[in-house]
Amino acid sequence: MAQNRVPDTNWVPGSHLGWGYAWPSNRRIMYNRASADPEGNPWSERKRYIWWDAEKGRWVGYDNPDFTLNKPPDYKPPDKGSGDECLDGKSPFIMMADGKGWLYAPAGLKDGPLPTHYEPVESPLINRIYPAQQTNPAAKLFHRPDNLYHAPGDPAYPYVITTYRLTEHHTGGVMTRWLPWLAELQPHGFVEISPELAAEKGIQHGEWVTLTTARGEVEARAVVTDRMLPLSFDGRVIHQIGMPWHFGYKGIARGDVANTLTSIVEDPNSRIHEGKVFTCNIRAGRKEVRA
Amino acid sequence: MMSRPLASEHPTGPFYRTLPPPTMHEAALTAGVRIEPGTTYGFFTDTTVCIGCKSCEAACKQWNQNPMDDFGFKGTSYDNTGELSATTWRHVAFVETRIDTNGDHRRDRTRWTFMSDVCKHCENAGCMEACPTGAIIRTEFGTVLIQQDVCNGCAYCVPSCPFGVITLAEEQDRKAHKCTLCYDRMKVGMEPACAKACPTDSIQFGPVTELRERARERLRFLHSRGRREAYLYGVPDAPGAAGGVGSLNCFFLLTERPEVYNLPPLPELPSRRAGAGFLTATAAALFWGAVTTAMILAPRREQREGGRQ
Repeated sequence: MAQNRVPDTNWVPGSHLGWGYAWPSNRRIMYNRASADPEGNPWSERKRYIWWDAEKGRWVGYDNPDFTLNKPPDYKPPDKGSGDECLDGKSPFIMMADGKGWLYAPAGLKDGPLPTHYEPVESPLINRIYPAQQTNPAAKLFHRPDNLYHAPGDPAYPYVITTYRLTEHHTGGVMTRWLPWLAELQPHGFVEISPELAAEKGIQHGEWVTLTTARGEVEARAVVTDRMLPLSFDGRVIHQIGMPWHFGYKGIARGDVANTLTSIVEDPNSRIHEGKVFTCNIRAGRKEVRA
Repeated sequence: MMSRPLASEHPTGPFYRTLPPPTMHEAALTAGVRIEPGTTYGFFTDTTVCIGCKSCEAACKQWNQNPMDDFGFKGTSYDNTGELSATTWRHVAFVETRIDTNGDHRRDRTRWTFMSDVCKHCENAGCMEACPTGAIIRTEFGTVLIQQDVCNGCAYCVPSCPFGVITLAEEQDRKAHKCTLCYDRMKVGMEPACAKACPTDSIQFGPVTELRERARERLRFLHSRGRREAYLYGVPDAPGAAGGVGSLNCFFLLTERPEVYNLPPLPELPSRRAGAGFLTATAAALFWGAVTTAMILAPRREQREGGRQ
């Protein structure tokens, strides 16, 4: 089915169910019963997608309905039952216990129930919303001599650094760094800095720079570009540095590993590594090789 | 509003057919074009929807099995392949254009302009005129093709291309190579690899007459939305279709001056200058002939004069 190659004629109905396959049930939009109002009618004619057909006694539309096909909008669950039969005909989010989408999450999360703002574990600023609570109290920290954290506003590490991915490589680059057609498109590790920071630090475009944190030191080529904007807070200028992942010491496209710089902090719920924003220092030139 | 068939009542039915590859006339499904010999095909590259993903570049290299070339960090924004060459037939330019922020330091001060460049498959191709072996031909699809078994690597076509598309594959067979508009794919009814890979339809493939209509429609739309700077490059009576090159089968919708994208604003066929060049050469030959004659005669006189002293 993944090899299906029949597009919709003149882009109608527009869901292209005959082109490839989408798991599950070749459904193109999840929870698509939400495209109809509680009575089962489209919210608007323009956004018509899935609706209740009373004559046929089933849900119809341009996609495979993500709902029990013959469960009418006025369906009331029985007093006793299990699974899908306990959800009424107005609850499109069938994977949730109550069939509703949640903005307020009183259960299931280690933080919450509403989203709020905390500073990253490493930040040059103090938290303006909760001055007494700089960072997420539920975040998982690892206090070890090889995983030192920078204090908020540490003058030794005044710059904000963020890590991101490039279109040309995939995740850590392990698969794509070896592939000539992709490696030539992004052949070398680099960091992006603003012309202001470059002038302050005497960094030339295309030359080597060294980035340091309490965890380690990496070198990369400098890309000095107007795309990087210095941030401004309370009249203070805070420079940001961008560093793509993907690079490593093997493969055709090589460069130092961004994870050498990051500390290990875990998100309380997914326990995913928070190395997206942290602080660092930068200087012109290559790193010193220790004998 | 257009009436839309339900998924369960769609003409192809709820049980869609599975087509075994290779599919004949696949382009009819992917580009809405049934590829027939005798029609002129090309690309319409709309730079306003290009996102700089380089899918076209990678898809081209993979299909044509072109090698990685001139490997290294260039520092020209995110572009590390630089230009079109014998081994790079699609090239995505990354141009960082400055925007006036009115002194507001929070606003972005640059705009990324992308453009996927390719062989233009000119109406009157300079490379074809220059080729002494007849290796470069016009195919049944109206495209310009270098026959690799005939090319002898003389490189006359290299300076004859007003767009700098062709080079010799110095490290491989030392022959001239360029975009074939995927002649081998078109032969079996398939859309060229780059156009098929393009996720935003920035590269559109089709008969040139139809593409021009589509491009003019797009231009009218952009103008109506206030993008007055948008224009077509390479359609008849537009920038790029000048200097004897005629119109370009692969044309572009641009928003900056052609030079920004490394395109000539007024391309010219080198053969146009052959007449003037011939006359200049003749005049020069006569002049230097006269000078040489004078130089041969002059020392004798000097010697005679010197001998008297």
